[in-house]
Amino acid sequence: MIFWIELVIAGIVSGLVIGLTALSITLVFGIARFPNAAAGDIMTAGAYAALWGHKATGLLIVGGLAGAGVGAALGLAAYWLIFQKLAGRAAVSLLVASIGLGFLIRAVLGVMFGHSQQVFQMPLVRPWRVEGVRVHPQDLTLAAVALAALAVAFGILYLTPVGRRMRAVADDPALARISGISPQRVMTALWLLAGAIAAVAGGILGAKTVVSPEIGWDMLLPAFAAAILGGIGNPLGAAVAGLILGIAQEVATPFVGFTYKLALAFLVMLVVLLVRPRGLFGRIEGVR
Amino acid sequence: MTTRSFSPDRRQLIAGGASALALALTVGPALAQGAPFRIGALNPITGAGSPYGSGMQKMIQAAVAVVNAAGGAGGRMLEVIAEDTQTNPQASVLAAKKLIEVNQVRAILGTWSSGVSLAVAPLTNDADIFLFNTSGAPALSNPPANAKGLLYRFQATNDRFGRAFAEIAVKQGFKRAATMAFNNASGIGNTAGFKRAWEAKGNQVVAEVVYEPNQTSYRAELQRVLAAKPDVIVMGSFLPDTTIILREWFQAGETNKWIIPGWAANPQLITALGADATEGLISVDSVSNETAASFAAFDAAHRTATGQAGIDNVYAAMTWDMVMTLGLAMEAAGPNANTAAINAKIREIANPPGEEVFTFAAAKAALAAGRKINYQGASSILDFDQFGDVTPDFGVFFITKGKLERRYVVKI
Repeated sequence: MIFWIELVIAGIVSGLVIGLTALSITLVFGIARFPNAAAGDIMTAGAYAALWGHKATGLLIVGGLAGAGVGAALGLAAYWLIFQKLAGRAAVSLLVASIGLGFLIRAVLGVMFGHSQQVFQMPLVRPWRVEGVRVHPQDLTLAAVALAALAVAFGILYLTPVGRRMRAVADDPALARISGISPQRVMTALWLLAGAIAAVAGGILGAKTVVSPEIGWDMLLPAFAAAILGGIGNPLGAAVAGLILGIAQEVATPFVGFTYKLALAFLVMLVVLLVRPRGLFGRIEGVR
Repeated sequence: MTTRSFSPDRRQLIAGGASALALALTVGPALAQGAPFRIGALNPITGAGSPYGSGMQKMIQAAVAVVNAAGGAGGRMLEVIAEDTQTNPQASVLAAKKLIEVNQVRAILGTWSSGVSLAVAPLTNDADIFLFNTSGAPALSNPPANAKGLLYRFQATNDRFGRAFAEIAVKQGFKRAATMAFNNASGIGNTAGFKRAWEAKGNQVVAEVVYEPNQTSYRAELQRVLAAKPDVIVMGSFLPDTTIILREWFQAGETNKWIIPGWAANPQLITALGADATEGLISVDSVSNETAASFAAFDAAHRTATGQAGIDNVYAAMTWDMVMTLGLAMEAAGPNANTAAINAKIREIANPPGEEVFTFAAAKAALAAGRKINYQGASSILDFDQFGDVTPDFGVFFITKGKLERRYVVKI
């Protein structure tokens, strides 16, 4: 029993990283209407920024904020320099542009920081025992950072005027426009938010594992799977689906074998697309 | 990035050239100096192999200078064209194409990681030239990679690493060994080699896990292995995954021992995890043929070129031997030999029986006198099996207070 509880706890932390990334992807998909393949590399940039912030101050929260800042700046720059210019083109052009952007970010990070791994220098501590279950203080810290990021993101989406406008554009861009919502301002807010969320996810991933120029790219597949599972364009769905996927990956591996961990993400994506294309929380969407 | 071969001593080169010329004049036109024999030095100057790469390249150049100073090989001078693999298969394929098509090299020396060597092998095979590598993957022994028998490996295979791990596990008195392998040819090669040798000694592997790269956590994998209560976990792993696994293991408060390949349990791992978490880890790497006269010659050249002791870079000793092996095979094959003729001589000059020789000049003199030679390398005794693989000795390092400390050497 303890074995399974520990696996679930490990899965929750992995799931929060996946969920945050999926949230970034699903926001861009819902509002800018294309799958953003650069999300993974914005994560990586966030991880390097968080590493720098943590190194300079020794505080994980400063690292997280530095990551969020760099991610937001990167998202905004991507919008101004690339995606704004391509607005109105087919989704596939935007997708290809985002793949190119991802390559660019990865290459620049490789040149700036080299390809050898770097780590967050955090003291290694023994776990707490709660009723025999091992709970790692570091996991709790990282989960808290992830939950805080989620809270801020949902606060912006559901409690602020700009969030309401973003959801209006996601619902129906034409209707939003004739209601007097400026697409430019919504887009700016979107890219700031999506960049910052992906970057915080990257920072957590980097603190949990190691930081190298490829870490974010490798997370892209599970994140896309979660975005689809949650119902593409649905923020809450993405976060919940990320958690489900993270826990499922950890808990299922003793049965299916460890080499199939990633395949599980594929399988989930496949089943959802075949059985319930609108995802867990999505609604049926007609072609506009 | 192209550098030409050079002699450290111009006078020596002139003397060497003059004696070669004199030899040519006395023997006749058959031994006349041909066009230089071009060698591509394709090494990991940047990327994960960068701690070793520039030393490897400098030793190719130094060894070529030694061969040329002794009058060249097979009546020809050697010339080096240097390139960087970036420890990246794509970049190495581009560099190898350039070396083959533009520079028309006859051999490529010193590729480092298995991914790089496997990517370059089809090109060298197509061009009918040699590829001497320092990689571990078992796939490099057989076709299609080694379809023409032109690949020679100067490093131990992953399988041999696994056999060395088993020797060490027995010597340390371990009884309950478990294995964890990164899911690729190299990782599984290590643990499969270990398992075979370990079971042949009458032992059992209590748990084995093959894991995927790029996981956010390896806790499920670790729990599976730790549930079998192993006293040692044997790894076929690389640096990033080892870092994550050991961090999670240490935080779980376990106390078993570890045997890890040297490319994963290295100073970078100690930097990443600190002295406490790495205390007592056993790191295994191949070691050079340190007591041989050939190693002394290499060591002197290495100190001159890099300012560091030759013992610090096992791969540089391998590239030094690559030039010596190629040069001696060319010498034995005679002037203007083609690839097949040179290839036919490689095992003849490197393997027993024969007079043990340690330097190029002495070996060349012995060949000229018509004697059979057995070159003893700086990196190992350098006897190639039918797959072109060698069997070096292995150094067993214990991490003590944040330092890698070599305790003993095992032979397999």
